[in-house]
Amino acid sequence: MLFGLTFFGLLIATAIIYWILPYQKSRNIVLIISSFAFIGYNDINALIVVICLSVYAFLFGYFIEIKHNKKLFHRIGIIGLIFVLVIFKYSGLLTNTFNQLTSFINDFPKISIYKLFIPLGISYITFKYISYLTDIYWNINKECSFINFLLYGSLFTIFSAGPIERFERLNPQLENKLQFQSEYIEKSFERIVFGLAKKFIIADWIGYFASPVWKNSGDYSLEIRSLALLGFSIQIYMDFSGYSDIAIGSSKLFGLSIMENFNFPYFKSNISQFWRSWHISLSDWIRDYIFFPLSKMGKTKLWFYFFVPVIAMGICGIWHGASWNFLIWGIYHGVGLSFYQIWKKYLRRKPETNIFFKSLAIVSTFTFVTIGWIWFI
Amino acid sequence: MKEKLIEFIKSEYLENEDSEITEDTKLISSGLIDSFSLVSLQTYIEKEFGKKIPAPKITAVSFDTVKQMIEIINQF
Repeated sequence: MLFGLTFFGLLIATAIIYWILPYQKSRNIVLIISSFAFIGYNDINALIVVICLSVYAFLFGYFIEIKHNKKLFHRIGIIGLIFVLVIFKYSGLLTNTFNQLTSFINDFPKISIYKLFIPLGISYITFKYISYLTDIYWNINKECSFINFLLYGSLFTIFSAGPIERFERLNPQLENKLQFQSEYIEKSFERIVFGLAKKFIIADWIGYFASPVWKNSGDYSLEIRSLALLGFSIQIYMDFSGYSDIAIGSSKLFGLSIMENFNFPYFKSNISQFWRSWHISLSDWIRDYIFFPLSKMGKTKLWFYFFVPVIAMGICGIWHGASWNFLIWGIYHGVGLSFYQIWKKYLRRKPETNIFFKSLAIVSTFTFVTIGWIWFI
Repeated sequence: MKEKLIEFIKSEYLENEDSEITEDTKLISSGLIDSFSLVSLQTYIEKEFGKKIPAPKITAVSFDTVKQMIEIINQF
């Protein structure tokens, strides 16, 4: 368990040393040491990958910043990061799929690859570094210290379950000396307890009842399976937002403010608003680095209103795991976003203000999202 | 700049063009402007004011009101 006793022991020990030290730079180094200890303890291979990727991304950031051919270095940097992610996370899925697709051809050679481990936090760190390089390319990020950068990539409180924080937001917090405030402990404790309750009391309790239904779904009626799906919908929210609460609360113990990741997503009246409230750091990332650039690539309405959201959400889906189910889930949401936009632009006369219709919209959005979780189970 | 932005937002994104918005009206966080609309707003700013605003600057925190938009536009 990533957020287990080891995590909290390390968290408290690090916080004590962190606040005793007089300089922010030395505090940042302590945080890096603890982060490396945490990553190495959970997955030693991940630690090697983190160090290699950090050196790689930092160097390319430097090249983009100083060299004339910014575009080329940006592209090479991004392609390298995507390549690493694909090799570690998706090579098994891709080779299996290729073998299945060619299985009907007699004597067609099967591709077999050495089964690679999936390093802990690989999806998060690659997305963080892609945003870092792109933000330098867009003149948002400037050259920084390698220590701050390394801490950005490895910070153990947000390493394994996000949020996918932006360097632009974190770096200024690492630059200036933070003064200890008792408020940090109060807020941190409150948020961690809240997160633990969501995860271990609500999510795990629902899972206790719902999981057996999915293990032998054929034995249960449609009503029970629907109820279990409803349960899963609440479970996944409590589970994931609980993790985010723990991550945000733990970071607060060091005086660091990490972006919020959820904002009551199940109380939104349309799918567009849902995605501005669910896993916000990921949906913002998808919007900034996939949706916006893709939108500029085509001129037609079909491209903008259909293909862009479907491709962007497809990428969002497959990011969650090496299974085509996640891709389908993403496409499902992309189609939902597309239909909502078309309806809003061409069919809706005016937004509903009636409380009944607003409630109906919230229930409909929740139902749409809940049905989509079928591909997650 | 303020008047042009308000006029554009009212005509392009608000269902009721008579709705009043000020430079402090929350646009993204309130749901008046979504990601699809932000693309055309970004394009409008680029064409009208000659300023290319990078996507990560266009957030519900830093680009939510017309006042904030003007601040960001002036940074580029």
